[in-house]
Amino acid sequence: MGTSVGTAAETSRRPSFALVPRLRSRAVAVVGILLLALVAFWLVENAVHDIRQFALVSLNGITNGSIYALVAIGYTLVYGILELINFAHGDVFSWGAMITYSVAISWLGASGHSGIALFGILAVGLVCAALFCATLNMAVERVAYRRLRNAPRLAPLITAIGMSFVLSNLIAVVYGFNYVSSEPLLPRGALFTIGGQAYGWDKLIVLLITVPTLVSLMIVVKRTRWGKAMRATAQNRDAARLMGIDVDRAIAFAFGLGGALAGIGGFVYLVYFTQGRFDLGFRIGLFAFTAAVLGGIGNILGAALGGYLIGFIENYNSGLTWHAPGPSWTESLVFILLILILVFRPHGLLGESLSTRS
Amino acid sequence: MRRPRLPALPAATRTPLARLLVAACFCALLIYPWIYSKYLTTTLTQWLPDTSTAFVILAFTVMGLGLNFVVGYAGLLDLGYVAFFAAGAYIAGFLASEQFANAGSVVFGGTVLPGTPGIHLSPWLVILIAAIFTALLGIVIGIPTLRLRGDYLAIVTLGFGEIIPQFVRNGDNLGGFNLTNGSFGMNGIDGLGFGNRVHHAIHALPANFLNELDSRWYYWTALALVVVTIVSSILLRDSRLGRAWIAIREDEDAAAAMGVPLMRTKTLSYAIGAFFGGAAGALITLQAGATSPDAFSLQVSIFVLSMVILGGIGNVWGVALGGILLAYVNYKGLFAAGNTFNSTFGTNVDIPEYSYLIYGVAIVLFMLVRPEGLIPSARRRAELHEEEEEENLVPESSTA
Amino acid sequence: MTDELLVDARSVRKEFGGLVACNDIDFTVERGSIVSLIGPNGAGKTTFFNMLTGSYTPTAGEIVFDGRDIVGLPQHKITALGIGRTFQNIRLFGAMTALENVLVGMHARLDSGLFRSLFRTPLQRREERQGRAQARELLAYCGLSPRAERQYARHLAYGDQRRVEIARALATDPKLLLLDEPTAGMNPRETNAFVDFVRKAREDRGLTVLLIEHDMRVVVQVSERVTVLDYGEKIAEGTPDEVTADERVRSAYLGTKPVA
Repeated sequence: MGTSVGTAAETSRRPSFALVPRLRSRAVAVVGILLLALVAFWLVENAVHDIRQFALVSLNGITNGSIYALVAIGYTLVYGILELINFAHGDVFSWGAMITYSVAISWLGASGHSGIALFGILAVGLVCAALFCATLNMAVERVAYRRLRNAPRLAPLITAIGMSFVLSNLIAVVYGFNYVSSEPLLPRGALFTIGGQAYGWDKLIVLLITVPTLVSLMIVVKRTRWGKAMRATAQNRDAARLMGIDVDRAIAFAFGLGGALAGIGGFVYLVYFTQGRFDLGFRIGLFAFTAAVLGGIGNILGAALGGYLIGFIENYNSGLTWHAPGPSWTESLVFILLILILVFRPHGLLGESLSTRS
Repeated sequence: MRRPRLPALPAATRTPLARLLVAACFCALLIYPWIYSKYLTTTLTQWLPDTSTAFVILAFTVMGLGLNFVVGYAGLLDLGYVAFFAAGAYIAGFLASEQFANAGSVVFGGTVLPGTPGIHLSPWLVILIAAIFTALLGIVIGIPTLRLRGDYLAIVTLGFGEIIPQFVRNGDNLGGFNLTNGSFGMNGIDGLGFGNRVHHAIHALPANFLNELDSRWYYWTALALVVVTIVSSILLRDSRLGRAWIAIREDEDAAAAMGVPLMRTKTLSYAIGAFFGGAAGALITLQAGATSPDAFSLQVSIFVLSMVILGGIGNVWGVALGGILLAYVNYKGLFAAGNTFNSTFGTNVDIPEYSYLIYGVAIVLFMLVRPEGLIPSARRRAELHEEEEEENLVPESSTA
Repeated sequence: MTDELLVDARSVRKEFGGLVACNDIDFTVERGSIVSLIGPNGAGKTTFFNMLTGSYTPTAGEIVFDGRDIVGLPQHKITALGIGRTFQNIRLFGAMTALENVLVGMHARLDSGLFRSLFRTPLQRREERQGRAQARELLAYCGLSPRAERQYARHLAYGDQRRVEIARALATDPKLLLLDEPTAGMNPRETNAFVDFVRKAREDRGLTVLLIEHDMRVVVQVSERVTVLDYGEKIAEGTPDEVTADERVRSAYLGTKPVA
């Protein structure tokens, strides 16, 4: 399942300024292991403290994580093929949530229906969100990034930041700056209870949407002609062109695929959390980017797993009772993790450490 | 919002005309408070910022110029510059307010009466300490992160730009200790001033700017800081250190092979950028008398970055002008334009609310229209330089 | 005996993710000599250069330069110890003038820091003045016209860019000068002039020179010793005549193995 679209070129360019590389890497390893041990101890202590709470929080983590996984793949696809951090990706996700709101709730009145009718409406909402976001992401690529493909590296990144502001503020233009919200759409009845606390149906439904989506994405990337063209382009654009692959279309395909996943993620977010706002994508986008980095950016499976890991971190931090920093520190924790990974394991947890120079 | 065409570019500051222009601009800025009060009654004031708005515009220009050390000279994309703004602001709050009232009364040259509880240092000292502390913070952040490649560095700095405000927001309960008042922020921060002793000696210098009728003294302080920043920018650019920064921006590996210590040089640019960010943050806080974590969002970092992009990355005069222009648009121009728009068309659109849509469009358009992007000033410098070469072949005094 | 050796590299090895670019190469350079490193494309020559300058760290092996083990030292320290280089594809700082490029090369030899630069102390002014004068001398020494020295590097003609790059490398005051394909793109007349220049520079400045070179005529004309790499292995070493007569070298160059 190593569906990696990472490039080898980047690894050879990373300079190393380590004073004494071997010593440094050993010290880093020791500190890293100590840190991991501390986290493991904390988790075990919490599990022993209240195993039911721990189990429930873990299950919540899987649900949240699957949303991050969907968004993270969009970052990893684009980075793998263009080496661009598509900053606007989180806002494509926001658009997915808002389109879901418009289609399923405003136009089709999902909250007044139930059963098969509700299922049909939500299915329409999901398809609309996915299609809209795929188109949006491809349009962003076409308008803003394509012309900068050979520009200095930071030019497309700055453009992506600008695009992010454009997309999120366009949501504000259409929907205003406040939250839009809906009645609960998914059945929230208890599927089972652990220690008096319920695990709702809605959490399972989220998994029933996201997991098959992730699996089918892997198949698309691995098996289909377009997926192969995309991977070939990621590995070596010039060689792919020589082999007769339409590179522009392969890149557009990556953006479309990533956009569709973000759209589905937005859909899931809206029906699960029942609210959305113009700046939704900032936090979730950064969490998802962290997930992509965790998994080794360019590595699709890694991004998905990284998403789940972030979901766990978020929920353990906010849900566990024994010495958890609490939700007001979640962002700091995720960013600190991002920084640690980038500084010490830039190829992620899954990507093999190809660091050539140290 | 096209990139303004600038008459004065680095190489051109040596020509008499450019010097004259710079001097004229400076004089105009110096007497701006009088210009403003003279036209107070005309419709022009709708478009002119009052002195306290002009103060904010200049203070943000200092930040743009500070970020230019990092993004413009050394070519390191920093998306978390707001962290330094926040650090400067809170240091000012700590050292010039009643925040630490239970520590007793420490008044050292402050603008308050002796015996006031809390720490009250001389505001000038506060700005300096805030700047130095922020520079140290820049070094602490820089050492682990500056070895990262450009786009990773951008994300990591963005992370710090989020972590530090969150730290401030949660800082009302750090193991039970209230450092920052959390999301309430800090109030009652001292104003700037020369203190009573100086005021008694020279009556023209006010003891406390807060007691003045308008903010012109604050405005002049900010202007002075702009001048200091510009002069430092130019002096450092034309030095061994500045050459090393630009070499790193142009080709990091080649710079290292020529003996430039990458980490030290990059960290220094980061620290100096942080220094001015902290100074500006402290200055803004001392004028506002309050600060809160809500003021430190990613938007601010992007706003300051836009100044650098708009003005021409690495180009001191361009960034100064871009900073003034963009800050003007943000703090006055959009309001004025919105009012005019609404009164003309009888609408009720809140145009300033969409400022970040406008900045986003501007960033994208600018990067697309000038795809060579990061080095326009160098290119234009080069072009200008060739023209200059024709008339001026004396190889002496080549500044650079 | 070892004092005569400026470079003494033993079993130097470099792998890129399992791919061996340099396979346990032993390599020495005598003080004051001119040595060429030759071999087909992808033979590992530039990789070896990059390990000498510290831009790559060897996977294994040791490199002693001027009596010091330099493995693991950061690039700028190695440069300060006395290794200056040029690049295969000229890598000047495009937005800086020729003069400034050379001044960057002097970075390690000047020492005005933040405060001296901010306050323009007399020391800093004198150092700048002297640095500029030396940079001009170097540029003139390398044959750049005074007119060109204030032009931006990216606007210079190709030949002048080569000159500036060598001047920049000399500005680091190297004991060992590494030239990576210095004659690429030169016509025969320029190439001859270059050969003379290298010899002269060695005499004038007490240099030791290590070249990567494709043009066998240059190699034979200029170098005293030649080392041949192929597929990351050292396949021959000796005087130019010995090497050109070597059977393995001939086959490496002439086609029992793919050259490109």
